[in-house]
Order: sequence, then C-alpha cells, then structure tokens
Amino acid sequence: MLWACILFPQLALDGVVRRHASPDEPLALIAGPAQRRVLRSVNEAARAQGLRAGQALAVAQAIGARFHAIDYAAADAQRWHDFLAAWAYRYGSLVSREWPSALLVEVEASFRLFGPWPRLEARLREDLRELGFRHRIVLAPHPWAARVLANVHDGLAVIDEQPLLRALASLPLSRCGLPADVTAGLVRMGLRNLGQVWALPRAGLGRRIGEAALDHLDRLRGTQATPLRYFQPADAFESRIEFNYEVSSSQSLLFPLRRLTADLATYLAGRDGGVQRFLLRFTHERGAATELPVGLLAAERDPAMLFEVARSRLEQLQLPAPVREMELLAHQLPPFVPAGRDLFDMRPQQAMPWEQLRERLRARLGDESVHGLAVRADHRPERAWQSASSDVQAMPSLPRPGWLLHQPIPLRDTSLRILAGPERIESGWWDGDVRRDYYVVETSQGQRAWAFRPPGEQGEFMLHGWFA
Amino acid sequence: MSSPLPDYAELHCLSAFSFQRGASTAMELFERAAELGYKALAVTDEGSLAGIVRAKQAADATGIKLIVGSEVRIDGGPKLVLLVQDRPGYVALCRMLTAARMRAKKGQYRLMREDVVDTQGLLALWVPDEGAGAGEGDWLRQVFPQRAWIAVELHRGPDDNARLEALTDLGQRTGLPLVASGDVHMHLRSRRRLQDVMTAIRHKTTLAEAGYALFPNGERHLRTRKALGAVYRRELLEETLRIARRCTFELTREALNYTYPTELVPAGHTPATWLRQLTQEGMRWRWPQGASEEVRQTIEKELDLIGQLKYESFFLTVHDVVCFARSKDILCQGRGSAANSAVCYALGITSVNPDETKLLFGRFLSVERNEPPDIDVDFEHERREEVLQYVFDKYSRKRAALAAVAIQYRGRSAIRDVARAMGISQDLAGELAGMMDRWAVDVPIDQHLRERGFDPDTPLLRHVVDLTEQLIGFPRHLSQHPGGFVISQYPLYTMVPTENASMDDRSVIQWDKDDLEYLGLLKVDCLALGMLTAIRKTFHMLGDAHRGDWTLARILDEKRDCEKTYAMICKADTVGVFQIESRAQMAMLPRLRPEKFYDLVVEVAIVRPGPIQGDMVHPYLRRKQGLEPVEYPSEDLREVLDRTLGVPLFQEQVMKIAVVAAGYTEGQADELRRSMAAWRRNGHIERHRETLIKGMLANNYELEFAERLFRQIQGFGDYGFPESHAASFALLAYVSSWLKCHEPAAFACGLINSAPMGFYSPDQLLQDARRHGVRVLPVDVRYSDWDCTLEDLHDVSVQPAIRMGLRLVTGFREDVARAIVNARTQAAFSDVADLCRRACLDGRQSGQLADAGALRALAGHRHRARWAVAGVEPQRPLFGDVPEREEIHLPLPSVEENMLADYAMTSTTLGPHPLRLLRTRLRAQRYRGWADLQGLPHGRLVRTVGLVTLRQKPGTASGVIFMSLEDEDGTTNVVVWHDLAVRQRRVLLESRLMAVEGRLETESGVRHVIAHRLVDLSPMLGGLAVSSRDFQ
Repeated sequence: MLWACILFPQLALDGVVRRHASPDEPLALIAGPAQRRVLRSVNEAARAQGLRAGQALAVAQAIGARFHAIDYAAADAQRWHDFLAAWAYRYGSLVSREWPSALLVEVEASFRLFGPWPRLEARLREDLRELGFRHRIVLAPHPWAARVLANVHDGLAVIDEQPLLRALASLPLSRCGLPADVTAGLVRMGLRNLGQVWALPRAGLGRRIGEAALDHLDRLRGTQATPLRYFQPADAFESRIEFNYEVSSSQSLLFPLRRLTADLATYLAGRDGGVQRFLLRFTHERGAATELPVGLLAAERDPAMLFEVARSRLEQLQLPAPVREMELLAHQLPPFVPAGRDLFDMRPQQAMPWEQLRERLRARLGDESVHGLAVRADHRPERAWQSASSDVQAMPSLPRPGWLLHQPIPLRDTSLRILAGPERIESGWWDGDVRRDYYVVETSQGQRAWAFRPPGEQGEFMLHGWFA
Repeated sequence: MSSPLPDYAELHCLSAFSFQRGASTAMELFERAAELGYKALAVTDEGSLAGIVRAKQAADATGIKLIVGSEVRIDGGPKLVLLVQDRPGYVALCRMLTAARMRAKKGQYRLMREDVVDTQGLLALWVPDEGAGAGEGDWLRQVFPQRAWIAVELHRGPDDNARLEALTDLGQRTGLPLVASGDVHMHLRSRRRLQDVMTAIRHKTTLAEAGYALFPNGERHLRTRKALGAVYRRELLEETLRIARRCTFELTREALNYTYPTELVPAGHTPATWLRQLTQEGMRWRWPQGASEEVRQTIEKELDLIGQLKYESFFLTVHDVVCFARSKDILCQGRGSAANSAVCYALGITSVNPDETKLLFGRFLSVERNEPPDIDVDFEHERREEVLQYVFDKYSRKRAALAAVAIQYRGRSAIRDVARAMGISQDLAGELAGMMDRWAVDVPIDQHLRERGFDPDTPLLRHVVDLTEQLIGFPRHLSQHPGGFVISQYPLYTMVPTENASMDDRSVIQWDKDDLEYLGLLKVDCLALGMLTAIRKTFHMLGDAHRGDWTLARILDEKRDCEKTYAMICKADTVGVFQIESRAQMAMLPRLRPEKFYDLVVEVAIVRPGPIQGDMVHPYLRRKQGLEPVEYPSEDLREVLDRTLGVPLFQEQVMKIAVVAAGYTEGQADELRRSMAAWRRNGHIERHRETLIKGMLANNYELEFAERLFRQIQGFGDYGFPESHAASFALLAYVSSWLKCHEPAAFACGLINSAPMGFYSPDQLLQDARRHGVRVLPVDVRYSDWDCTLEDLHDVSVQPAIRMGLRLVTGFREDVARAIVNARTQAAFSDVADLCRRACLDGRQSGQLADAGALRALAGHRHRARWAVAGVEPQRPLFGDVPEREEIHLPLPSVEENMLADYAMTSTTLGPHPLRLLRTRLRAQRYRGWADLQGLPHGRLVRTVGLVTLRQKPGTASGVIFMSLEDEDGTTNVVVWHDLAVRQRRVLLESRLMAVEGRLETESGVRHVIAHRLVDLSPMLGGLAVSSRDFQ
C-alpha cells in the first residue's frame, strides 16, 4: 500500500478566506479565552503588516495593525476537514482523518483508475487549488512516515525502504510526532534528528523514553502497523419518486408526498433525529426543476406533522409545468427533543395541537407574521418587548399592557381618568434614553390604556398600549 | 400661596462606602442636604461603618446632624436600617457587624437573627420586601420594643398608592408605626448614570444585560422637600424628625474612649515609670561609658513630652514588638520623626544615633499638633509575618487588628470597569486602560484616544470618558494596610466593626489611617523591607565565616566615615545597594558626590518627584559643586535651610518655612502637611496657595521663591519625603554600601538569597560581583545548598567565592534542595542513580539538575547527564542497580548551547556573555561595546548594542524612556525621547537585543547615549530568554 498524506497547514484560515468577500485584505483568526485572545493564524496580507500566529490580540492592536479579526471556530475547521475527506473519498476508498489538518489516502489501489502517482498527484493539487486550500503532499509506504515527512517536505514521493529511511533519518526530532516531553528530553541529550535516535541502543533508549514512544519510532519505519479509522461519508436523507406519467395537479402529488414524508419520519426515528428544514424538488420534462424549501420552527419527526407542513406549503405552490419526478432532500438532521405530553391529555377532538396550528399559520400567513414574544430585562417597555421565535418567558409582575403599540401615538381624549401612576421610567441612557411618567388611564369609551408624558409635566398623553 | 415646606430628616442613605452602590461621597451628600434644608442625614452604608468618619467630617463641615447607622439584610430575613441612638447602641451595632463580617469571606457579611439580640440603643427601620407578611413585624416589635418602624420608600414605582396602602395595612396588623425614608443612593438625580454603571459593575455585567438589576428611575437621590411633600403624607415626614431627635450619639474621640493596652506594664509601675526605667536601662546599653549631658537632657525632654500626651503605652508597645523581633533574630529598624529620637535609640527601636540626628528637626512630638507619634518599624520581609502573628497572639484578634486602606478607583481600574459596563470588549477595555498611566488620575484626552484609533466623538466613548472621570477617586473596596496595627485595651468591636482580611488569621478594622487619626486611635506600623532580610543574611554569613560579628549599630559606630565606601558610592558603583541603586540615583551620585552620612540623607530624598517638580535639584547641585554661592532667602530661614545649602528638600523644611516665612502656626503647618498628602483627591492645597504666598510676600520674600515653594509642596503631594524617614533609609543605604565595598561576595549572596527584591536580577548581581573580582562557582549537587553560599574561607584577607545555590535553578523546589543536602551529609553521591534514590528525586527534578549543569561531576556534560537521569528507574531494584555497560555517543554541547541552557536553567551564565559570542559579528557591523564607549568624548556619534535589561518610564520625565543595554563588560544607559519612542514603538518594546545609534553624552562621569535610531537584533540571540524589567 502507498499512502498519500495531504497536509493543510492553514485549514481553518483557508476555510474562512475562500468565503470571504475580500480575501486579499489582512485577515487573522482569533482564538483563546476572552482575557487572552491570540492570533491563531494570519494570511499573507496580515503577515506583511507584522502580524504573526501566536501573537496576543492586544499586541496586534497595540502595534497599530489594521486587519479583520475573525473568531476561530473549531467546529468550522472540523467541517472543512470532513468536507475535504468527502472530496478525497473520490480518489481512494481508504481515507483517514486520524490527524488534525491532514488527510491520509491509500492511493495504490487507485492507480488503475487515475493513472500513476504523478498524474494522480497533479490531479489532487489541481482540485485543491480550485477549492482554495493550501496543502503539502507526500507519498510514503507507511501512514506515519507520510504524515511526518509532510511536516518538512512537499511533493516528496518515496516508495522504497532505503530512501525512506534516509529521508526519515534527517528529520528534525521536533517534527517527528513524538510527544512534546519525549522530544524535549531527547533534545536535551543533544539529539537533533531521528537518525541519531535510531543509532542509540534500543534497550537503553526504551528505558528512557518508554514503550509508547518506541512503538512510535517503529511505526515511522513501518516495522509496526498503524491502526487507522476510516472515513465514512456523512449521513443525509435523499429519496425520490419518479412518475411514469406527468402529474399536473398538486392534489395528485399529495399521496406520493405522504410517502416521502413517512419515509423520512421512519428514517429519522431510526437514527433518533429530527428534521428542521428539508427540500422538495420537482423535476419537469424540460426547464429547471422547481424547488420548495420547507422549514419548521423546531426539529420534528412526527409523520402527520411533517406531512401537514409540507402539504400546506405545497398547496401554495404554483407549479410552472407538469412534474416527472419528486425528490425530498434532508441534509440537516438535528437531534430531536420530544415535547412532554400530559399522561391524561384531555384535548377536545376538534382542537389542533398548538405546534400544528403554529405551523399551519406560518404556512398560510408567511414566516414573518407568526412569531413568539419574549421578555427582555429592560426598564424601557419598547425594549422589554421583543419578537422571537423561541418560547415566551414569564413577565415580571409589573402592570404592563398586553398590546404594546409599535410607536406611541398622541392620545386625544378630554375625559381621561387616571387609574394609577405616575410610574417613572428613566433608563437606557447608554443606547436610547427614555424619561417618562406612565399612567394607567381609562378613556371616555371605558378602555384601559397605558399612556405617558414627560416626567413631572401635566401636558398631553402619549398612548403606548392597551390593556385587555 | 403654598403651604410651607415640610421638615425632613433622611434616615436611609448610602454613601460611596457601600461599594458599587452609593454613587455620591459623604461630602456631596451633606452639602446637598444642607442646600435642601434637611434637619439630619443618616449615613447607613450596607453592613459597614467604613465611611462613617468621612460622613462625620462632612457633617461637621456643613453643620448638618449625622445619624450613624447601617443598612443590613438579615440572612434569610428582612432588610433593616439600624440607627444608633446612643453609645450602647453604637457598641451594639459595631458588635453585630463584627459578628456578621467575621462569619463571611472578605468583603461580605452574613448577619443571623441570633446576632440581633442585644439591641439596646438601636432603632430599626424595616424595609419590607414585596408581599412581606406580618410575622417579621412581630419579631421586630419584640427585638426592638418601641424602637421599630416600617420604612415607607416611594420612588414613583408601578403603583405607589397601592404600595402605601399595603404598608399602612401591614403597619396596622403589626402595630408598627410608619416613617418616610428615601433609600438614597446619590445626592443628585444626575448621578443615576454613574449609579447604573456601578450596578452593572457590581453584577459583573453590562448595562444592556443588567436589566432589572438597575433602578427603573433616578428617584433615589436626595429629593427636595417640595417633592417629598408631594409624595408622602405629612405625618410620615414628621416621624423622621422624631426619630432624628432620639438619635443623640455623636462620633467623637470622647464617645469612643479609646484606651491603650496596659498589660505591658508590670505591677507596681505606671506606664510612665516603666517607660522611664526601660529607657534608662537602654541608655546603659547604648552608652556603656555614660551618655553625654546633652543626650540626657534630650531624653528628659522627650519623656516629658510623651508624658504630656500620654503616649507612654504606645512607645512601650513598639518597644515590645521590637524586643520580640530581636529575640527571634529578626532585623528591624524604625523610621519617622518619633522613631529617630533619643528615647527610641535607647529602646533599640532605631539604630540612628541621636548624636547624628541632633541636626535633624525636632518634629518629635508636638503638644499643639496633637498628632499621633510617627513611628514605622521595618522588619525583614521574609519574617514580618512572624511579627504580625506575635501581635495577634499577644492581644488576641479581638483586641488587635490591621487598619484598612480604602482602595480607590484610579485611572486604569476606573476606565476598565466603566468600559466593560458599557459593553466594550475586554480587548478594547484593556487597550483603553493601557492608555492610562497606572496611577493616573486624569482621563485620557481626545488626542490620545485618536492616536490609538478610538473616535472620542462617539456617544459611547463620550460616556466612557465622562463616567470614568466621575468614578475616579471613588472607593472601590476595603483592603488591609500593609502593616498598621490598632491595639486596644477593650475589644475592638466597642469602637469599630472588624472584618476578615483576605489572608487567613488576620482581621482588619473598617477604618483607614486618616479615620484613626481623626478619632485618636493609635496605630503601630510594622512594615516589611527586603533589604533588612538581605543585610541580616549577610551578617550571618560573615559571622559563620569568621569575618566579623556585624550589626547595623556597629557598622555605624566603627565604620561611619569609610573613605573607600564613599569613593565607591561617588563612582555610582552601587548595584544592589539600598535606595541609591536606581538609574536616576546612579546618575545623580557622581554629581552629588556624597562624602558623609548627611549627604546620603540628601541623596535619598533628592531623587524624588517633590524636589524635581519643585526645581530644587539643580540649584542644590550647583551650590554643592561650588558653582553658585549659598544664599538664604532671609536670615530667619538660614536656620531652616542651613544644612541643605539654602534649598528646601525635605517635607519638614517646607512646613517650617510655612511657619517662619508665611506666618503659619504649627497647627496650620500640620494641616498643610495633610493637604500635601491628599491634594490630588480634594484639591484642598489650592486654599493654601493664596495664604502661603500672601504670607510670604508680606514678610518680604520674592514672589518667584514663593511660587517655587508652592510648586514643591504640590510635588510632595504624592511622594512627600520627610528627613526623618530619609535618615533611616540613608542608614541602610550606608550599611549596604559598606558591605558591598568590603564584603562583596557575602553581600551578593545575601541579596540573591532574599530575592526577589530591588532593581537587579541575580544574574546582574552575579555579573557585578564577578566584575569586582569575586569568583563565582557553578551549581553543583556536591556542594550547592538551596541558598548561595560562601566557599574558600581559609584566608580572611581574601574575598571568598560564591557557590551558586539551587534556588537559582529555574523551577526547583526548596524542599527538594534540602533533601539533597541531607542525603549528601550522610555520604557523598556515587553516581546519578545514587543521588536520585537517596534524595528521592523525580524525573522532572533530576532533569532540571542535569540541564542546569549541576550533575557535571557525577555524569559529565549536560547531554550525558540527561541520558543518565533519564535512565534512572523510579523503583529501587531488588538486588541493587545493574549499571548499563553500553557505550553511548552523544554530541558534545557547543558553547552556544551551554550558554542557552545556562540562561534557560539558571538565568545567568558563568561562561562567556552572549555578547562576547556575538562580538566579532557585531564589530564587523561597526557596533561598539560598553568598554569602547568609556574613552570617547562627549558629543560623539556612536553605534552600540546590548541586551535590554531595563525599560523605565519615570512619572516625572514627560514621555522619556530610559533603557539599559548590557554587554560583557558593563551596562550602557540609553535615553529615548518621546517622538522616537512613538516612531519606533515596536522595536523599543519587543527587542531583547537592541542596537542603538545615537550621541554619547558625558557629564561628571555620568555617561549615556541619546538614541537617534533603534534596531532590533534579537534574531541573533536564537532561543536565549532575556527578560527586561519594564517599569512604568
């Protein structure tokens, strides 16, 4: 077997840069706890400004450099790692993500398909250039050898034992993948490269660096096998139904839709997950396919509900042409948290469960029209009242109207009766100062209103809300 | 026609000493209360009386009556405002707060119901929580019979009428009367922004996130009586006056009745007779051949004065502490005007002979000023804790506690907290804080902000700047005084609440030194001083090596005018010496040329902001060098300024000038001294400006002299330096100089063994010792102790060698070093394995020794030593060790590798200095070394290079940075002017090895390079770790 190690020296940064609007401007990835933020990696333009990986952010700012600081997210790097593994899977069925920022691909088996190594290597490099990932590639007969040689080489391909040992022997100790304490210990004995270490008596060496490190030295040479875990492509749900005739009424699509959603629900139940967003794709005889995204407020997997939501969306859809094929794609499969149900649920038959009603309203009225209300801890009423898609929290015990106007409006009523107040609110000077005296008043029509005027003044009221 | 305004007394008011709650100082509150015509103002800080003395002073200044009290929340119970009616009530409150504080961590309190038992003399206002039941009321009525009220606090809440109704109902159910109160957090509504910010800081959150933790409005200020009349029924307001009238307690010296402990006086003696007896015994010890008539008279005069002021017990206490230290062989030295007296010399509190100090001003004690005696005692810093614990043991923690220090917001801390509360990220908050000098009390100016890339015109930054300005000077938290004790005959809680310090086994009272002074409580200062540790260790080493039994007093007596020592001082050859080792001091020494003890007193005091800002240094220097005649502003001042050549340098002189020239009384002069210490905080010194200058003009002094004197008084503000303290410091400066001059090896050991202290690292001290011909021997497990030691002791006429101690090995532990020494005393180590086994070394420790080169004798060079220690098995094999027979080959460490390892492991090297290794390359680039510069004339353009060992930005020199560049021969001083520092900021801050191009300046033996350009050569060093000591 021959192993290609592809090393991505700037994986996270490249992942950011390839999506960034202006990748030529100075960019730096920032990581570390809030008290000590450091630059994790920097691009070329940032390096030209004197920024270096490992620098403290405060230092970077203190030297007056101007750069985009982007928060490093380990999950992002992981995603790109997976993405690249999926890409590499095209070139070999044994792909390992064993080591961070690196991929190992067994390529000997692929030579038949892609041609000899130089051709394959060129192809890998071309792909990666297009994808926008900097890389180093080394070919070696053992995984670990390929991995550590990639630390100092790019484009090296060693197939035979002797050249491999020579290449390894000159490798600096710090780049050999040995634990830091072992490396430090050896360096302090004056040893600088792998060759010098191999020259030491094995027993004496083992006594000093331990079995694990000896094993590692063996794996580099290939006298001991390296156990690897292999990559499997990610899970996703994709299912389609082809019609052998053209379907033109959306009514006739309901049956196959029910099947697809049911299959999805079964699949979700099997992996104990839910779905929050999926895509319905309708292929026509000619012309582009019609796509209908379906989103839910929370992850769900109940078949009736998935069908109901998809159906109400489908009913609104104007199909441009008859449909030949219908496809359901679900790539986001978040964990599912079931809603707690009362054991003795006494819901009347007619009533629709709240979740279903909510989704139906959203489907009918549009996503923007239906949202939750959330309370924010803020003395200013308009700030305390916020739309949110999450669930409503309890209000503190303040007399607040159920309906707060978007904008206060003058309240012209000559026979107002003050029921309570003034309640003085003076707050928010840091981002929008509010100073008002609020009153609960009764209008001449007998409605209870919430109104305010400037503190300590007797003038006109501004109406801010209605009590139920 | 309006009805007359109602009278009112505010009974619930927090001051700034409810930290991060009260947004106004006591003075602001009382001034506002006076404007509004309040009848009285209670200051009821939460669980604390820390601000009460300031409140009392503000009350006296404004003529508004102060009611002493405290707001407390009972653990799991109601919130109360406790008000002090009379003296028993005051004691009850102090006792309650002490119990609550001692139960909790530093800065917190936990008051239990069972603490609230003895309530005689206390009134209670109950501030009921929302929906409180009658149960609490019944309990209160029992515990505070006829002395409990329900506090009605209406602040334009959601429904004040409903709240009032509910409280009225509660009053009827519990039978408690109602009274109006304000829950005041600030003196004006406009402080609500600062109050909001404080709330956010207290909750460690931002304003935007603080939510309902903030008050909904700004009603919690001192409201006008008209506003109060509109909110409260008349009878609720009248009730406040009835309560205020019942509170008759006044916080005065008389009311506290502080009594000094009496147990130091044996039966049959009074404090006075006992002090006299001890003094007489001391005289026989100090003057074996009999004291002179003059000394005897001085002592009589001093004893008489001590008696008049009834300070005998205080002197006895200090004497007792000093005796304890002496019995434990802890070196100590008193300082201060009272410390340098004949009585204190006889009592052994000071080693400064009064024959020496009779020249000094008689600021010993004064009946008129009635200020507490000024005695600070410095102890060895490593052993000061023993002294503290002795005091706690002797008097118990009930009767002895440390004084507090109210830590104030300074520029940095204020802007950091404000910025965070405003939601500015920590990075930027740190950036803003970095803009402030650490101790600055001014906010950054817009120009500064722009330079750093901030836009000062944004509302956000405007808020930050405004609020920072307001917050600066506010107390932030209570900390402990570094060593000021208060000791009392009766438990301290009869006077002041006591709380836990952050360190175990210490307690702190809630008052600081100004509070103590105001109320006549005496404080004994036991401070820590590293130099005393170093000197004591040096004395011991010399004694053990049979090189003499030295004491401070003996050196002063027998070696006082050593020419060799003064010659060394004049050359500024003072690395490691006390006080006169700093760069600024070293630059002054060759010009000032000290030749006698008093010159050192001047030297210690002159390189300080006071004289520098007052422009006193150069006139003094010129006169000292004979370049200008010694003149006196007047004949009257000749006596005052005689010894300082007509130039005022000391705090005492400034005060005396105020008396002699400006017609101040002693009392006024003392007030001036206090203002000097506090002028930045309250600006009171401006008041003196007019009086002082007017007084001096009236006495025919020149305006220019008067202005200059005033400038100097301002300069003294932060760093006032009295002659009496300078004298004690000069004593230590002289003793350490003498030791350095005559016993350089032992002195360097003493310093290193007391590290960290002083300006210089062990590396610099060892290099200095080697330049003075002392041999330094490497770390070696066969000979090294934990501390550095002396070797080659056969011949006392030759300087011994220094054996580097294991304490110099980075990360090495003292107990491990002791284990090695113990094992070694049993038998010499045969090899590395033997060492590791018998001294129980783990792999890390033996590795440190190998890397440090300490195993050379057992295993060979570092690489072999590493191999050897790595091969030692952790467990002892059953049949002894099987030695490895194989021959191994490891590369020999190069000179550079050895140097790097030396620096990495011991922070110094006995091999060639790094610059020596680079010298050929540097010469090729036409860089000169320290030695080359010595012969060059003033004004030459030079290129030099060295390791950056110091970067210092003195507060007095605007924007100038001083740098030290070290090479194999010496240290070159570099001056970097502000504009260059800005231009080459990064090179300046980041270089470890730096080249400087600039102009050489030499003046009376002082030599420095004015930098024109800086070059970072650090890459030439490789992995060498060099740390500069950066001083702000």
